[in-house]
Amino acid sequence: MSGLCNRKHLSLALVSAALLAFQIALLQILSTSQWHHFAYLVISIALLGFGAAGTLLALARQWMTTRQAQLLPLLLCCCAVTLAGSLTMTQGLLGGFDSFLLFVDISEVIKLSAVALLLMLPFTCGALTIGLIFTLETDRIGSYYFANMFGSGLGCLLGLAGLSLLLPQQLPPCFGLLALAAAAALLPGSRTATRGVLAGSLALVAIFLVQATELELSQYKDLRRALDLPEASILANQPAAAGQIHIVDAPVLRGAAGVSFNWLGEMPQAPAVFINGDSIGNLPRAAGRDNPRNASTFALPYALGTPRRVLVLNAGTGVDVALALDRGAETVIAVEAHKPLVELLRTAAPTSFSRVFNNSRVTWQPLASRTWLARDQRQYDLIMLPRVGGFGGNAGLFALHEQPLLTREALLQAWSKLSPQGLLTVTSWVDYPVRNPLRLLATLVETLQDAGVTNPQDRIAAVRSWGTLTFCIKRTPYTKAELAAIRAFAKRWAFDPALLPDLLPEERQHYNRLQDDSLFRLFDEVLGPERAQLYNNYTFRIQPVDDDQPFFSQFLRWSQINTLVSLYGQRNLPFIELGMLVAVLAAGVLSLLATLLILLPLIRLPKGKGKHWHVLVYFGGLGVGYMWTELALIHRFVLYLGHPVYATALVVAVLLIGSATGSALTGRFRVCRPWRWTAATSSLLLIYVLLLGTLLEATLPLTMPLRAALTVLVLAPVAVIMGMPFPLGLKLLNKKHQAEVPWAWGINSCLSVVGAAFATILAVEFGYSLLLLLAATAYLLPTTIRFQASEQRCD
Amino acid sequence: MQIRRKSACSSVLVLCLVQLLCFGVVASSERGEDREAMVREQILARGVKDPTTLTAMRTVPRHLFVPESMSQHAYQDRPLPIGHGQTISQPFIVAFMTEIIKPGPGRKILEIGTGSGYQAAILAATGAQVYSIEIIPPLADSAALRLKQLGFTDVKTKSADGYYGWQEHAPFDAIIVTAAAEFIPPPLIEQLAESGLMIIPVGSPFFVQTLMLLQKRDGKTISTNLMPVRFVPFKRVAEE
Repeated sequence: MSGLCNRKHLSLALVSAALLAFQIALLQILSTSQWHHFAYLVISIALLGFGAAGTLLALARQWMTTRQAQLLPLLLCCCAVTLAGSLTMTQGLLGGFDSFLLFVDISEVIKLSAVALLLMLPFTCGALTIGLIFTLETDRIGSYYFANMFGSGLGCLLGLAGLSLLLPQQLPPCFGLLALAAAAALLPGSRTATRGVLAGSLALVAIFLVQATELELSQYKDLRRALDLPEASILANQPAAAGQIHIVDAPVLRGAAGVSFNWLGEMPQAPAVFINGDSIGNLPRAAGRDNPRNASTFALPYALGTPRRVLVLNAGTGVDVALALDRGAETVIAVEAHKPLVELLRTAAPTSFSRVFNNSRVTWQPLASRTWLARDQRQYDLIMLPRVGGFGGNAGLFALHEQPLLTREALLQAWSKLSPQGLLTVTSWVDYPVRNPLRLLATLVETLQDAGVTNPQDRIAAVRSWGTLTFCIKRTPYTKAELAAIRAFAKRWAFDPALLPDLLPEERQHYNRLQDDSLFRLFDEVLGPERAQLYNNYTFRIQPVDDDQPFFSQFLRWSQINTLVSLYGQRNLPFIELGMLVAVLAAGVLSLLATLLILLPLIRLPKGKGKHWHVLVYFGGLGVGYMWTELALIHRFVLYLGHPVYATALVVAVLLIGSATGSALTGRFRVCRPWRWTAATSSLLLIYVLLLGTLLEATLPLTMPLRAALTVLVLAPVAVIMGMPFPLGLKLLNKKHQAEVPWAWGINSCLSVVGAAFATILAVEFGYSLLLLLAATAYLLPTTIRFQASEQRCD
Repeated sequence: MQIRRKSACSSVLVLCLVQLLCFGVVASSERGEDREAMVREQILARGVKDPTTLTAMRTVPRHLFVPESMSQHAYQDRPLPIGHGQTISQPFIVAFMTEIIKPGPGRKILEIGTGSGYQAAILAATGAQVYSIEIIPPLADSAALRLKQLGFTDVKTKSADGYYGWQEHAPFDAIIVTAAAEFIPPPLIEQLAESGLMIIPVGSPFFVQTLMLLQKRDGKTISTNLMPVRFVPFKRVAEE
């Protein structure tokens, strides 16, 4: 292989790494500065830069290929500068962007589109170099595709490592340097002017690096609002791949969510903690009986006695751990997946707040709560689940959030960990229209039935305050003394019993009256024989969710859209179920843009030569199939590996590096029948659909290194095979329809992005198993395509 | 009966006088038609009938309480951002909350979260004695200046932590907490007069906001969830 060829490989790997690492950093940057929904939307559009590059290349292939020696380093310089300066270019626009006005003010749409277009620049420039190299080197596509995939795999790891070590706003200039290194690799033999451009770009990237822009936070972000308070100061600001952590202190910050209005004590000042700019709560102060949480419905289980062993899931800032300690628990296991958060709170929190993190009675487990439930063998007197919903009820906003702790399987696992007199408790903010409490009750009832309890009513108690509703399910039926204790607790703090085995209707609204009695009527229906009918007839989707579709907060029923519009007005609909609607909007916008980008090159492509639809089906199928496989597998391995970030990093890295290997192997084949590999991928994915769940369940008790090793072993075969059809397809296409090569690559990019957007909707609506099945089907589509009769001998 | 009627008439006269005095400076005719339409279509049509509230809503120039860039949208049926993540509430919500706490001459009202000062101005326009606290200094300063410039000199404002209320002027006949927290500060309940009313919009103004009313009777506090305010008019239409 010549020196230039080697340098091209290196350059390709570097720019691929830079783009993927930038994408990961961008996701956190935009999630921190804006709502994550808009981050998702903006990045999806920006990623279409790959599609746009394919289109440009297809339209100007000849012009570009003849000037490739100058063009490649220049494009890479452009990519480096726009990537490094992406925040400087967009922060001004984002700072003034008002997400709430998006649906009513066209200027906000224009701002958001401008941000997406600016962010598209580095992707387009970087992708143009990738596409141009692919077009030039189609004969050796296997090794170049290897460099591309390998670089991307490396970029994934680099992005996550960067987020752990540096503040997110410092990362784009660093990744800009990578792109610049890619340009430098192609420099030998280039003109002086090109060298000058490189030097200038280096200077610009260095300036961006030194003057890393501060993130402009949306005025509605919790962090920004806290920082607007008088005398607010940042106690800690730590980067983390699982979410940047801020601890903010201000004399007026207090943590006392949902406390009774009968509480006359002090509401203690407490620093607040934020992950990616969103509040996760205040730090608990040592308080004993003076802890105001005693006067909230969260304390309901403690009205029944002192639990010895307590398990707090998704423990966060430790407020429930503090409550358990204050109420005399002997042992508390606090499970929190965000390890850097726990470490930071242990070391950086002011002394009066760090006791829950340095207490000999508390053991912190840095693991996903579901993984802990699946692996732990102990029994507990009390298991506390995290709070459900948001203050005042904005449930629909979280429609796309996976909540694996609120599935039937999760609750059944938790139930099995309860000691003979054990209690499981969960609290929800009361929302309107009622969604969260209803789905929660339905899940509890069905969990109890799954566990063989014939009369769930005997095991469920719930009390309601002015804003919260706490459920407590008990291993054994409640005794009369326990029911009396619950009533006394409720009376003491002006709460109303909402569910008790012997509850009288008039007890339900003594202190806290609702606008109507629909909540109780619906509760009764969930508990009664008409539950299935309620599931079918209620305006929102409230049936329990399972591990395959762990979207607890997805309440929207498409069949009920008309009813919702007639009840609440079309203008208000986005405000009830915004999360899902943004996903649909993103998918719609992306589909439209992708269609344009795919159709545009047809103007210049030679007519009558070959069948365009063959190219579309083959490379589109590969793009969609790859993304769906990747997303479905990430989901499968989150529970197995115990942390979403580790799972994403490992699965993506294995798939990309495995595909890179597969791609490199295609260079060695004299016979290439790509349909064989797509059929093999499809078959392997079908096997995964059938067997993967069982295999992962059986090996869950293994240690983390073994589970990681098994993950690599399980995923490697499919990853290697998935890397073959794309380079083989390009190679075949190049033989007779060379002009279509960039178009094919563009189709693949466009449909990968569109596929990712639709993957979310499909997973929410039909579950991850079906998504994996659809991925297998998507790989079947290219199996039907034959580019030429001679494809069996394509040496 | 005659005496009662006379007394009622004189109350209305006093009220009108107070309102005229209050609006000596501000009751300009500028965008009067917009205000009239706002009252007719957004407020009256949704069941707010209290004449005092309606008069106040007709007279206070809402467009002067929003950022200049938002002025054209001032009378639309929605909340508007005023900076620092705060909003000026939807006109109907302002009217609805005002009607509920029954402001008027001689009534002492505490507002937590001055924001733009619009709610305080509406309350003052009814003749009530208004005390308003804002925690974010730039908002507090601009609202105080705006209220002064528009002639609402009787509204007492300060930049402070609303958690502690305003002890020197307690007890209050009503308290409006426009910037709701996840808890209800005990000092506010203490500063609420016997039979007093506290009204709190719970949740984001841009999403589903419910109104909670706290009533203090015989030392006992009772909460009533009034309605999800954003949806009320639509629900009523649907029910009809």
